Amino acid sequence: MLESYLVRGLKAGLVAGVALGLFVAVLANPMIAAAEGLAGDHGGHHASDGSGGHHAGEGGHGGQEASGVLGVVSAPLISVVGGVFWGLLLGVLTFGLAFYFLEPAIPGTGATKSAIAAAGGFVTVSGAPWLVLPPQPPGVEQALSTDARLALYAGLMLAGLSACLLAGYVYTGLRDGGRGRALVGAAVPFCTLVGLAFVLPANPATQSLPVAFVAAFRAQVVFGQAMVWTLLAGTHAWLAAGDETDEKQFATDVGVDDPVTAD
Amino acid sequence: MATANTVHGRIESARPALTTPRVALGLTLIAILGFTLLFVQEPLVHDSLHNARHAAGITCH
Repeated sequence: MLESYLVRGLKAGLVAGVALGLFVAVLANPMIAAAEGLAGDHGGHHASDGSGGHHAGEGGHGGQEASGVLGVVSAPLISVVGGVFWGLLLGVLTFGLAFYFLEPAIPGTGATKSAIAAAGGFVTVSGAPWLVLPPQPPGVEQALSTDARLALYAGLMLAGLSACLLAGYVYTGLRDGGRGRALVGAAVPFCTLVGLAFVLPANPATQSLPVAFVAAFRAQVVFGQAMVWTLLAGTHAWLAAGDETDEKQFATDVGVDDPVTAD
Repeated sequence: MATANTVHGRIESARPALTTPRVALGLTLIAILGFTLLFVQEPLVHDSLHNARHAAGITCH
C-alpha cells in the first residue's frame, strides 16, 4: 500500500518536475541572466556576505559564460535538471510519504485532499520562509549573512509545517461543532505564523535593480512554485482516482477482498 | 486491510514494509537530494544550481 503511494508521488513529482525544468529553461534562466546583466559588473557584491568570497573575482556568476560541474555542462542546464529533481523531491515527500501517513487526517475527499496537501506543502516549503526571506533576483545585497539566512529558511520551513499540522489537528477537533468554528480555529496557527514573521530579525535588502524588475521576478517565482504545486495536486488526484477505479475493477474481476495489496 | 483508516492505522499497516535498511536508504536519499538543492554552499555545486535556486525562491548567497 505504501509502495503504491510512493509510486504515485513519484509520478506526480515527475510531471511537476519536468514542468519546472521547462519553466527554468524557458523563463527563469533568461530572467536571471537579465538580472545579472542589469546588476552590472559590480561582481564584488558576493564577497560582502562573509561566506561568498568564492564568487568575487568571477564577476558574479558570469552570465552566459557560467559553467557548471567540471565545466563540461553549463550551469543553466544543470539548473534545469535541478528543477526536475526539485519536483521529484516534493512529489515523493509530500504525495508519497506525507500523504500516505496523513491521508486519514486531511479534511475532504478525493481531489480536495490532494489540493489541501499541496497547499500545506507550499506553505511549508515556500510560503512560510518567504514571509521573512522573499524571493530575490541575483545581485541583491541582503543584511543577514548567507548562513543566517539558510538557518532562518530551514527554521521557517519547520514553523510552516507545524502550522499546517496544527491547523489540520484543530480543524478535525472542532469540525463536529460546526464548520465555521473549525475554519476559524484552523486559521489561528497561520495567523501565528504571520505574526512570527514580524518578530524575527528583518532582512533589509539593497539592490541596484529597477523596482519593477524585482516585482516581476518575484511574480515569476511565485507563479513557478504555484504551478509546481498545482500540477502535483492535479496529477496526484488524477492518478489516485484512476488507481481506485482499477482496484475496484480488479476486485470485481478476480473476487479478492483486499484489492490494495493485489498489485 | 484490518487496520482502521486513521493516521495510527496507516503507521501500523506500513510497519512490516519499513525495515531498517529500507528506511535508512530512503531517508539518506531524501536527505542527500534535499540538502543538495537547499543548503549546499560548496561553490561548484552552488553555482551549478544557482538558477534553479533563484527560480524556486530559495534563499541564496
